[in-house]
Amino acid sequence: MNWLKRTLTGLGISAIILVGLVYVIWIPSEQEAPYQLIKTWGSKGDQNGQFNEPTGITVSGNRLFVSDSRNSRIQVFDLDGNFIHLFGIEGDASGQLLRPMNLASTADELFVADFFNDRIQVYGLDGVYRRSIGTPGSGEAEFNAPGGVAVADNGDVYVADFYNQRVQQLRADGSFVRQWGKTGQVGVLDGKLNYPTDVAIAVNGDLYIADGYNDRVLAYSEDGRLLNKWGGPFALNLFGPFNGWFATVTGIFTASNGDVFVADFYNDRIQKFTADGEFLTAFGVKSDGPSHSVIAVAVGEDGSVFVVDYNSNKIQKWHQQR
Amino acid sequence: MKVFLLVFVTSLFGWSASSLASSNQYNLRVDGLACPFCAYGIEKEFTRTKGVVKVDIDMVNGLVIVTTSTDKTFAEAELSEIINNAGFTMKSMSQAGH
Repeated sequence: MNWLKRTLTGLGISAIILVGLVYVIWIPSEQEAPYQLIKTWGSKGDQNGQFNEPTGITVSGNRLFVSDSRNSRIQVFDLDGNFIHLFGIEGDASGQLLRPMNLASTADELFVADFFNDRIQVYGLDGVYRRSIGTPGSGEAEFNAPGGVAVADNGDVYVADFYNQRVQQLRADGSFVRQWGKTGQVGVLDGKLNYPTDVAIAVNGDLYIADGYNDRVLAYSEDGRLLNKWGGPFALNLFGPFNGWFATVTGIFTASNGDVFVADFYNDRIQKFTADGEFLTAFGVKSDGPSHSVIAVAVGEDGSVFVVDYNSNKIQKWHQQR
Repeated sequence: MKVFLLVFVTSLFGWSASSLASSNQYNLRVDGLACPFCAYGIEKEFTRTKGVVKVDIDMVNGLVIVTTSTDKTFAEAELSEIINNAGFTMKSMSQAGH
């Protein structure tokens, strides 16, 4: 019986060591001061400043743009949440919207992922429609439910092509350059994606992909090489509530200093990482249901973080504690 | 003339009531509706389907509620395929006439 006791003890100690190793290697601790919720605004409705399922956000200078999805419009606020104006109505004609999702902006233009209409629509920051990129389909420069968009300094447009299981890079004129993921094929290996929801371009030109249902982030160099991936052990679609793990990634934003902010939908939180994927901190407000409180994120030049609370039809503003 | 008008109006109301009564509502149980990317994907598939007049998402109960025009009916397999095309699995289905 002694040998059995020794074996069981040995196995127990091994298990404890293994769990400890897993914890140390795959569950990083906080590296930064926590964030504090400064203010919230919005409620459910269709009046100015109200939302019906907000899904996307971006910031350009002192203006904040929010996709008010089920109201088929974009609302514009100052950085304190004061309503400025809105644009867009429901429909499929030029300038009209059907379920706008994640957004991107440059110094003078706003790019909207128009989910139902299978296109990216481009507006001036004043809300005047300028042009449309893409058509429905699964060929080059065609989309099936674009969920997110990003714009590089040279004008190239990157689109999370949700139902085509890929991210496309297009020139400013809409012509195809390359894609990541295999069209129509869901997977976690072999360069495949699993319902990509959003994209972001860092100041240095690196591309970050929110690989939605793979519960991970992928980082690529400007010339298309895989640099890094993270989200749970080996970034192999193992989801969970731990630091550095995700439970469906729905939005991603790169700050001007290179930090990466990720909307971790089912965990009701934003996770913040360095440009190379080192976990820094996490914050959010737990949802009381039926849906979840964090779907998209944007960061202002002063470091203020703006979060779209999908469940409560609100925008949250967060500051990092000093 | 009055009699004719009365008969005409009565027939019209009767036809409308009969049309409404014969429209169909399908309640589809689907997991994962809390995420709008998922829910909108299902809505998008149904709005492209001929004969569908309305799609509602009931997040609390995990239901996709599909209302069709009077002459449109779905077999369970058709509904299941549409849900599959949106990337999900239909757990169950019930039908209610209006």
